Amino acid sequence: MTTLAVRLPLPAGLRTVRGATGITLVGAVVLAGLLAPVLTGTDPTAQSSLALAGPSGNHLFGTDDLGRDLFSRVLYGIRTDLLIGLTAVPAGALSGCALALLSGLSRWADLAVQRVFDLLLAFPGLILALAVTAVLGPGRWPVIIVIALAEIPGFGRQLRAGILVQREREYALAARVGGASRLRVLLRHVLPNAVDPLIVQSAVALSLAVFIEGAMSFLGVGVRPPEPSLGGILSQSTAYLATHPAFAAAPLIAVTALVLGLTLIAEALNEGIRR
Amino acid sequence: MSAVLEVRDLHVEFAGAEAVAGVGFELAAGETLGIVGESGSGKSTTALALLRMLPAGGRISVGSVLLDGQDLATLPEPALRAVRGRRIAMIFQDPMSSLNPVLTVGRQLDEALRAHGSDGRAKRAARAVELLDLVGIPDAARRLRDHPHQFSGGQRQRVMIALALAGDPDVLVADEPTTALDPTVQQQILRLLERINRERGTALVLISHDLGVIAQTCRRVLVMHQGRVVEHGPTEEVLTRPRHTYTARLLAAVPRLDEPSSAAAHATPAGDPLLTVSGLRGTYGPRRRPVTALDGVDLVLRPGETLGLVGESGSGKSTLARALVRAHPPTAGDIRYRGEDLAVSRAARREIQMVFQDPYSSLNPRMTVGQILAEPLIAHGLGDRAERSPRVAELLRQVGLDPASADRHPRAFSGGQRQRIGIARALAPRPSVLICDEPVSALDVSVQAQMLDLLAGLQRDLGLAILFIAHDLAVVRQVSHRIAVMHQGRIVETGPADQIVTDPGHPYTAALLAAVPHLTTRSTV
Repeated sequence: MTTLAVRLPLPAGLRTVRGATGITLVGAVVLAGLLAPVLTGTDPTAQSSLALAGPSGNHLFGTDDLGRDLFSRVLYGIRTDLLIGLTAVPAGALSGCALALLSGLSRWADLAVQRVFDLLLAFPGLILALAVTAVLGPGRWPVIIVIALAEIPGFGRQLRAGILVQREREYALAARVGGASRLRVLLRHVLPNAVDPLIVQSAVALSLAVFIEGAMSFLGVGVRPPEPSLGGILSQSTAYLATHPAFAAAPLIAVTALVLGLTLIAEALNEGIRR
Repeated sequence: MSAVLEVRDLHVEFAGAEAVAGVGFELAAGETLGIVGESGSGKSTTALALLRMLPAGGRISVGSVLLDGQDLATLPEPALRAVRGRRIAMIFQDPMSSLNPVLTVGRQLDEALRAHGSDGRAKRAARAVELLDLVGIPDAARRLRDHPHQFSGGQRQRVMIALALAGDPDVLVADEPTTALDPTVQQQILRLLERINRERGTALVLISHDLGVIAQTCRRVLVMHQGRVVEHGPTEEVLTRPRHTYTARLLAAVPRLDEPSSAAAHATPAGDPLLTVSGLRGTYGPRRRPVTALDGVDLVLRPGETLGLVGESGSGKSTLARALVRAHPPTAGDIRYRGEDLAVSRAARREIQMVFQDPYSSLNPRMTVGQILAEPLIAHGLGDRAERSPRVAELLRQVGLDPASADRHPRAFSGGQRQRIGIARALAPRPSVLICDEPVSALDVSVQAQMLDLLAGLQRDLGLAILFIAHDLAVVRQVSHRIAVMHQGRIVETGPADQIVTDPGHPYTAALLAAVPHLTTRSTV
């Protein structure tokens, strides 16, 4: 499957204003997360007596209700979110693609796989999250599993549609006439030509991952405190929204920048592919 | 006679590259003008520029298009919209995709009429019936309620013409209006265009790659080459005494139906049949209402023989080709290669390979030419990695390409070169039978001639048996030893190539032959 290293239309799509804005936003947030140990010396879980302080020279974004430094918590929270997204999205993408390939091989498998996708799509996300957490307990893994499960049908359907189109092209027929087996036609000829839209899907999926992590942590079924995550910090801040609005500002900005940036990238890529 | 349309020194640019470089002509009211040229000559771009409907990125850089003295090249967009359809209208090549599939034909005609300001619903409906009637659609009043998919390809093109005539334009621009149609239908559409020109005095600009089509319909012709007009004059004169070498070359490359088959000069069929097909039936579609594509086909192919297979779309030619390479297994009957059943023997399947129609979609865009040619070798386990690359080089040489081009992707090649790659791929597993499904119909005439030479040479050198499927009878006669005529899933007639053309035994064959557009000038006259 070495041919998967395909010629991507990345640069063309991203060289637009939209793509550049997306990359700048995402790049800034990702860099902040990666450089967290350099940018701040404060332990994100270290408590102090200075609770709910506003922004100051010592605490750039202020402190939370337990006196922890918000700047450090947001930076490390970004790390948590990125780690979750970068584990869950590839896992979901690979499973979705594997299922799509399976359904490309036989009609019965296709029927079964499509019903599995229907089930996953029809299942309310919140109830899925609660069910997984009920079994595994709160923490990082349930979040990853829920995100991965939620991404499977998106990737699966997208790739299946691509396979159905490409399979009818003459070059696929030519490969079959040339003696290639069904599996070989699928993997070597059809798949490389059908993966383009998945690049866009990945960017969409990453923003969805940030969203789901936020929602789960917000509901208290996500990443367990004191470990910082963007959704967790946001959830904490709601109790003080009326009295200390600055508390919610920093995590909100980080989440918004990340989701907006990823969406812009996805749109720019999409346009690049269509062109 | 005053000129209704006058084009002066028209230049069209696409991102800095000039597609049309200084085209000029005049069209008098009620006149017919043909524009002929090969792909990339700028003929379609010229047609679109007349209505200023160039695709994104294209613009008229210099020149003017004067319609009754009004310059369309500089007219503001709203004023232009009022001219389009009412004064000058266009019909496109593909009648399948040019009609909106979700609206009834009546609605679409009504919309076109409303756009041109015809008032009153009842009046518009009456006019729509009149238009459908004019373009020769039987039972017009009832058919207004039908959707495009309920019409045949030829009827859809008639509907397109009716739409174009809705605004009663002075000039009708037809861009390859019959290229997607069967010869008998093409004949009808050309007659219709002629009749409209004659009866209504609509001036006609007909763009085509086919000199025969132009010869039959247009009094004057413009020959385009690389964005320029190389020759311009009365059709008869241009066709009989071409002044420009390009026109002469174009004329020489056109296959003529009245030239005898040259197949015997290349190879003589001999020996026992290689391929025997008997009682082949093929159906597809839902089990309850199956469509029969093959209805008991028998044929025999000998070593070194070219069997031409002609028939119109839907006759089952392509289904037969795909059944022969086991891409769509038939529902009944058997195919034997030297007595071995193809359904059983993998070795026999290797002996039969296929060349496809579309040189663009039949090559995997993600693979290099070397990889494409190596695929069948890998699939059949022929040779190891070290043996494959000299074989690929040999194949490229065989089809007249540089072996060094193995590292390039298909997009780096022209249509004709891609078709050569397709032929090389079919030759890779050393087959003895080649199934060619419309191998030259997507190519320009000059490239077509080279491709036919290549196939003839390969047949002579390798002793190949070729099943040559095409709709163009002139090409088929030229390359075939024998011709089989297919109609509604059956082979209605088989015989020596020259005899089928000069003395057809079946009425359907005779109808096919009558529909072939002739160059008005035959060398013998």
